[in-house]
Amino acid sequence: MIDPINFVVFSSILLLIGAYGVIRNKNAIVVLMSVEIMLTAANINFVAFSTFYNVLSGQIVVLFVTTIAAAEVAIGLAILLSLFKQRDTIELDLLNRLRW
Amino acid sequence: MIPVFPIISFALIILFGMYDPRRGGLFALIGVGLSSVFSMAVVYEVLFQDSLHGGFIESTRTWFGGETYSFEFGTYIDSLAAILLLVVGFVSYLVVLFSISYMHEEGDRQVRYFGEICLFVGVMLGLVIANSFLLLFIFWELVGVCSYLLIGFWYEKPSAASAAKKAFLVTRVGDVFLLLGLVILFNTFGTLRYSELFSDPELLAANATEVKWATLCLFGGAVGKSAQFPLHVWLPDAMEGPTTVSALIHAATMVKAGVFLVARAYPLIVHSPDTAIYIAVTGGVTAFIAASMAMVMNDIKRVLAYSTISQLGYMFLALGTGAWAFWHAAEAGLEIHHVQGYTAGLFHLMNHAFFKALLFLGAGAVIHSVHTQDMREMGGLRKSMPITSLTMGLGVLSIAGVPFFSGFWSKDEILEAVHRNGEVEGIFGILWWLALLTAAMTAFYMTRLWMMTFSGPDTRKISEMKPSKDHEGTGNWELSKKEVKIHAHEAPLVMTIPLMLLAFMAVFSGFLLFIGEGFGSRIYFGHHESTEGPIQWEIIDHILSSSLTYLSVIVGLSGVTLGYLFYKRGSDGKSILSTSFISDNIVFGPLHIFLSNRMYMAKLFDWFGMRTWDTFAQACDWFDRNIVDGLVNATASITQFFSNEVRKLNSGFTGHYASLTVGGLGAIVLITRIVMPIMGWSI
Repeated sequence: MIDPINFVVFSSILLLIGAYGVIRNKNAIVVLMSVEIMLTAANINFVAFSTFYNVLSGQIVVLFVTTIAAAEVAIGLAILLSLFKQRDTIELDLLNRLRW
Repeated sequence: MIPVFPIISFALIILFGMYDPRRGGLFALIGVGLSSVFSMAVVYEVLFQDSLHGGFIESTRTWFGGETYSFEFGTYIDSLAAILLLVVGFVSYLVVLFSISYMHEEGDRQVRYFGEICLFVGVMLGLVIANSFLLLFIFWELVGVCSYLLIGFWYEKPSAASAAKKAFLVTRVGDVFLLLGLVILFNTFGTLRYSELFSDPELLAANATEVKWATLCLFGGAVGKSAQFPLHVWLPDAMEGPTTVSALIHAATMVKAGVFLVARAYPLIVHSPDTAIYIAVTGGVTAFIAASMAMVMNDIKRVLAYSTISQLGYMFLALGTGAWAFWHAAEAGLEIHHVQGYTAGLFHLMNHAFFKALLFLGAGAVIHSVHTQDMREMGGLRKSMPITSLTMGLGVLSIAGVPFFSGFWSKDEILEAVHRNGEVEGIFGILWWLALLTAAMTAFYMTRLWMMTFSGPDTRKISEMKPSKDHEGTGNWELSKKEVKIHAHEAPLVMTIPLMLLAFMAVFSGFLLFIGEGFGSRIYFGHHESTEGPIQWEIIDHILSSSLTYLSVIVGLSGVTLGYLFYKRGSDGKSILSTSFISDNIVFGPLHIFLSNRMYMAKLFDWFGMRTWDTFAQACDWFDRNIVDGLVNATASITQFFSNEVRKLNSGFTGHYASLTVGGLGAIVLITRIVMPIMGWSI
């Protein structure tokens, strides 16, 4: 059996990659993808510990998270689509009208 | 259970009243009617069957409580509550019936009117049967709110709005005293339930000082509610409300609450002779002052308002006298047979409720018919409104204390009780003279009211401004007088039926004196000695053989006669004695002006208010502007400064927000997981 510390480290790395992607990327689609990576990091933790403790509920939660993530991406893409129609861009640096 | 019906119908009216063709009147009739029926059942049991034998029944539930105290709500029925139920149930039902016709011109606003009336009646019934001072206080305040709402019914009229405010604020002064009294009682005895509070006379006697201050404070509340001197100023102004509301306030609800409170606190008051004397003096002085002012008022409703104040003064005089007599007898070790003052005061309360409701509803019918409240513009209504004039005439005779009408019996009892005390304590002698004078004045001004309204020619002179003949050139106006016939019509049946019923009660409620072994055997305080055989003849014998009776009869009749001579107007509009004889007289003239201005009481209050409170208010104003506002402004500018800085973070770049989130999360993790364990802190 693989030591769960490996999973934790792996998911932490994934999370950081995702966070870095969210922060640094200018393309909104890539940001969405990075968010998905962060969710995957959390899912890996769920699955890992669910197997480790032999409790199924973790995996059930993962199913939920995946579903919600799919819905979230659908909404996010729809927003980006209408954004692109109006502003002709999805570069986040150019979309800074919503501020003080 | 009784007060529940009107309160339910209050909710129903507010919610669904719009769908009722009578705009809530039907609900009100049913709700108030049901509680009247139940009240009458209780009254029948208690007063006519005497099933309580002077005791009480109480049912109670715990409301909220702790280890040391608990507060209960429940009902407490004894003969005192029963007589109030009789008054409130009977009179308020008739008032509601009357107002269905009286208010029909008001349209959709009747919903509000009937809703408030129902609530008013409901809380008053609740007040009467409450089983602790705390519950009484709650209903007491609700009664205040309802009267505020109803007096300000025509709230778009500035005078009505300010009258409502005045009523509310002035009674509030009394309410503060009442609350203070309750706090003292609770601190001393640890309970506010009647049955616990009244059960131990020795304990009460042992805490005489506390009882004295508590009862004084309670009486302060009653002074505010019952419009006694010097807090009487709100009641005449409260005439701004609809007349039916005035009838309800004066006869059944609001002002009777004060008398009820004093009667309810009787077991406490008898331990404090100071309070008793204070009550009696306040009552006597108020009765006198108010009666003197009633003599010169020209507004029909204001005359009635002052007469209410005066009659309430009578009740307080009687109650105070009775309490003092009880205390005195206990001090002197005499055996107490029955406290005449207490019985007489409550007897007067009941009679007053009937004839004052009658007078107010009659006045309402008159106002409804001629659309004015000024008695100088009335006159000769006897022909056009026969039923109203007849019933009101009976009410006038009743309040004037003419023999065999109800007012005669109770007023006579009060005078006798005061006189009996006067033989022992000098101040009651003075009060007796005051009360006797008041009786004469009462007879006088009530006769004046009736004569001015109903007798004489049915035309009136009105002045009107007309453009003068050379108006085109000069723009002058001239005052011309012309005679107009007063248009009056008899009120509809739904208005006259309550009048007739009330007139019946006003005439005959005096004979309740003879129920059972006399009224005193049902409504009494302390120990009642049961006598054998019919006592009726003894009472009659007593009344007929007492010289005091004849004195009060003479006084009352002379008042009526004077009123008749001055104000009976023949068809030519002239009276037998001229009123200008009085107003031009060198002695009475200034007195007349003094009284017309309501003894300058309002002006005095204004002046006092301006001098003291204005200075205080200016100081407050300075403090408010410079210190309070300064603090607030400082807070605002500090916040503004920081927010100016902080808002620069809000850049609009998604990346910035995301990094702040991640950074913040990282900082929290860093602090809670690494810094805090190292420093040895725990959350």
